[in-house]
Amino acid sequence: MSTANTSGVYVYGIVPADVELDDGFRGVGEGEVDIVRSGELAALVSEVPPDRPLGEPEDLSAHARVLDTVAAAAPVLPLRFGAVMTDQDSVASELLEEHNDEFRAALSQLEGRAQYILKGRYDEATILREVLSENQNARDLSEQVRGMAEPTSRQARIALGEFVSTAISSKRESDTETLLEKLRDLTEMINLRAPTHELDAVHVACLLELDSQARLEELIDEFAEEWDGRVDLRLLGPLAPYDFVTTTRPGAGDQA
Amino acid sequence: MTTAIQPGGGGGLDRPSPTGLADVIDTILDKGLVIDAYVRVSLVGIELLTIDARVVVASVETYLNFADSVNRLQIGDNEPKGLPDLVNDMQRGGARAKTKGAIEAAGQKLQEFLGGDDDRADARPRRGKGDD
Repeated sequence: MSTANTSGVYVYGIVPADVELDDGFRGVGEGEVDIVRSGELAALVSEVPPDRPLGEPEDLSAHARVLDTVAAAAPVLPLRFGAVMTDQDSVASELLEEHNDEFRAALSQLEGRAQYILKGRYDEATILREVLSENQNARDLSEQVRGMAEPTSRQARIALGEFVSTAISSKRESDTETLLEKLRDLTEMINLRAPTHELDAVHVACLLELDSQARLEELIDEFAEEWDGRVDLRLLGPLAPYDFVTTTRPGAGDQA
Repeated sequence: MTTAIQPGGGGGLDRPSPTGLADVIDTILDKGLVIDAYVRVSLVGIELLTIDARVVVASVETYLNFADSVNRLQIGDNEPKGLPDLVNDMQRGGARAKTKGAIEAAGQKLQEFLGGDDDRADARPRRGKGDD
């Protein structure tokens, strides 16, 4: 335990020891990304001043950029944003050696795989027309609202909005399931993410063989075409497998 | 499998690409390994964005917004617009466009930080020896 540090070591993730980086690979706070090795494992790190607050947008994007760039070429266990250790020695001993077995096991499972995220957002006008055309109730409610003056129509507008919101939720569920049925042909490793917007159509992370990326793109192309003008579909990746690493609870080990 | 793959191109959808700030926040703040030994450094300046990116609630406000959208939609679909409708639409449209602009600006800023695909290629990692 050293106490008088002039800087801290930011840790991005864990990789196999044979990973190499080119010079000039910049990370959080423009620090150069370095590799700390221990046995067959290595950690991606960079120096950060201990008193520098982290969490600026550029810090977040640097963290993701380092991990995602590596993920396209080698298996990587991503750490959650904001992990800082005292020095490189402690990274080797307290992190890599301490968790040697579980990290190696996890990395071997990730070999050749990366995460992809599928995000779909409904086109508002299109999905609203769809809801109205399918539901007499919604049409009645909207007629009712239009015939009323603003202050008195509040309850009716809430009722209409709730109806629409529920209808969109159920479309989200069924559209997501339709896509999942096809996605399961490519991988079983799927994490259904919570929607982050009321017009979200699909929000799914999957772990996939890098070799299968072309098949995933084809699949997304098919859906993009089928949903053209209705859902704006995006595919992100290859990314580090953020959704597929779990925090271990060292049973006997006390980490205080 | 050690070959680095390039993002594909073409097609009617966004290809694998640098992610927007909202995508990053979604992903790296509450996912990934956490090990007790780490000192977690406090985050500054992102609390609002974080909350914004993660909250989807079926609130009264959401309902009222949907109702307004339906209303606007039907006015647009069914009737020639009179001046009051147009003014109304423009005011609402203006407010919405402002919000969207702010969000997209954040995304654009991030794209600058990321420097697009070109920068990524400079610093591509490689494996030193063949695995297995």
